[in-house]
Amino acid sequence: MYSWLVLLPFLGVIFLNLPSKTVRYKLAFWLSLFIVVVQLFFVIVPMSVAWSRILDSLGTFLKMNFSVDSLSQVLLFCIGLVALVTLFVQREMAQDEKQMFNFANVLLLVLAGMNGIVLVRDIFSLYVFLEITAIGSFILISLDESFSAFEGAFKYIILSIVATVLMLLAIGLFVLVAGSTSFEAIGRAFADYPNVFLIRLAMGLFLSGCFIKAGLMPFHGWLPDAYASAPASVSILLAGIVTKVVGVYTLMRVVVSIFGFDPTLRTILFLVGIVSIVFGALAALGQGDFKRMLAYSSISQVGYIILGLGSFTLLGLAGAVFHLFNHAIFKSLLFVNSAAVESRTGTRHMDSLSGLSQRMPVTGVTSILASLSAAGVPPLAGFWSKLLIIMALWFSGFIWVAVIAVLASVLTLAYFLKFQRKVFFGTIAADFNNIKEAGFGLMVSSVILAAIIIGVGVLFPFIFSNFIVFISPLIGGTVGT
Amino acid sequence: MDIVNLFWVYAFSIIMLLVIGIYCMLATFNLMRALIGSEILIKAVTLFLIVAGYVTNQGALAQCLVITLIVVEVVMMTVAVGVVLGIHRYNKSLDVRKIRNLKG
Repeated sequence: MYSWLVLLPFLGVIFLNLPSKTVRYKLAFWLSLFIVVVQLFFVIVPMSVAWSRILDSLGTFLKMNFSVDSLSQVLLFCIGLVALVTLFVQREMAQDEKQMFNFANVLLLVLAGMNGIVLVRDIFSLYVFLEITAIGSFILISLDESFSAFEGAFKYIILSIVATVLMLLAIGLFVLVAGSTSFEAIGRAFADYPNVFLIRLAMGLFLSGCFIKAGLMPFHGWLPDAYASAPASVSILLAGIVTKVVGVYTLMRVVVSIFGFDPTLRTILFLVGIVSIVFGALAALGQGDFKRMLAYSSISQVGYIILGLGSFTLLGLAGAVFHLFNHAIFKSLLFVNSAAVESRTGTRHMDSLSGLSQRMPVTGVTSILASLSAAGVPPLAGFWSKLLIIMALWFSGFIWVAVIAVLASVLTLAYFLKFQRKVFFGTIAADFNNIKEAGFGLMVSSVILAAIIIGVGVLFPFIFSNFIVFISPLIGGTVGT
Repeated sequence: MDIVNLFWVYAFSIIMLLVIGIYCMLATFNLMRALIGSEILIKAVTLFLIVAGYVTNQGALAQCLVITLIVVEVVMMTVAVGVVLGIHRYNKSLDVRKIRNLKG
């Protein structure tokens, strides 16, 4: 039945383009909203047997090796949630129905691509869905046809092609070594001959491809440009979920089910993670444009996820998945806030803004919550995931890595406080005296996301014992097909 | 010639194509030429997939992979050329050195 999560968006795109112009422009928002809500419903509500049998028999013509474990389910939920927020924001920001229509089409394609990435268990299908998502994101970034958007998109395209070439070389080597493209067969070949040169080479090539796609620090050149120059709703989608699914999830999946846990791999992951955390935070501290700052902060937070993965313990993996979820929530919220500020004031430079909290109370309060969650301040959700990651590092004996991660958390707090102080606190500048609170769609989505941050943070003991402890042992196992 | 000897011939040409592609991407300041360089890289990879299928006696698998790869690559190039066209519309030039307005 999960093949419907890929099939439905594709059918949606076809259906959306059939009727006449006026009808399809009216239809675009509601149809994509429907598909996203169906996805959330699929993930949250356990399907009854009768339902799943009907859907299974309808979905059998898609001959793909789909399966779902708890990691996939967490990501499917995040994808649905961020896509929902993006739709609301785009409805608020779109100037006419044509823009909404174009956006909805490409959003559905990206949705299908991301669901595919999360569900496949075959390295070549993974590549195909990666490309669908990447191509969709190129179009989304350059959707408003501004010069800087084209430039950001072009950088992303070139680096993405390089990543593609690296991954395909690795896939060729996998075929050469294992004679098959399924995760199982390749994983077996890796376990059987761990020290063959070709296998090491394939691992290195695939890892570099993932690092480029995830925008980790030595390979991050495209990420700030693409995030900062994309339209507001697209930045939410890219920062919230696309790069996480395309880069980080792929990395997790490949490490867990193909490469296995190996000391060299751990060293590489720690190195890249620490460099991303520290230099991402330092670069964020030096930005004047708040969207660029959020982009660098994204690099830094992904570093934590990589560290959690690199600890190779169940606790670390659970922490990494939990941080991935939290990051999707708070980074989407911060980009929603930045969209609100940008649409009301027309500028993104922190120096020319001040005291917006007085005129935009909802935006101000929710962005403080998101910033504190990102910095890891106790009752909020981000604290717990960082705590899990750092505890995993500490208990598996990597005390220095844990210490650096904690210290870099202070840097995170520093750049978020700078952002808050410059944009929201203080006395309001005369130019912005009569601006209004952001529109309804932006406000609703930011309140929902802030509620999730507080809820997950306060109810953490419940969530930990009911969801998180089940994440890690089930990675690799299946809960349904 | 047996398979192993042929493999080294292919390996040599794949590596040459990769080197040419990387050189093309690094040496040029022209956006279209950068895309052509990346095309050469993808062609090298395509050849590599075919050879991998041939050596491991999995011709059918390699054919599937290569056909899918070609389709994906064409779509990717269409979008990339569209973006280049957009840059050209603003800039009237395809020179990388003239489009550096994103920094930091």
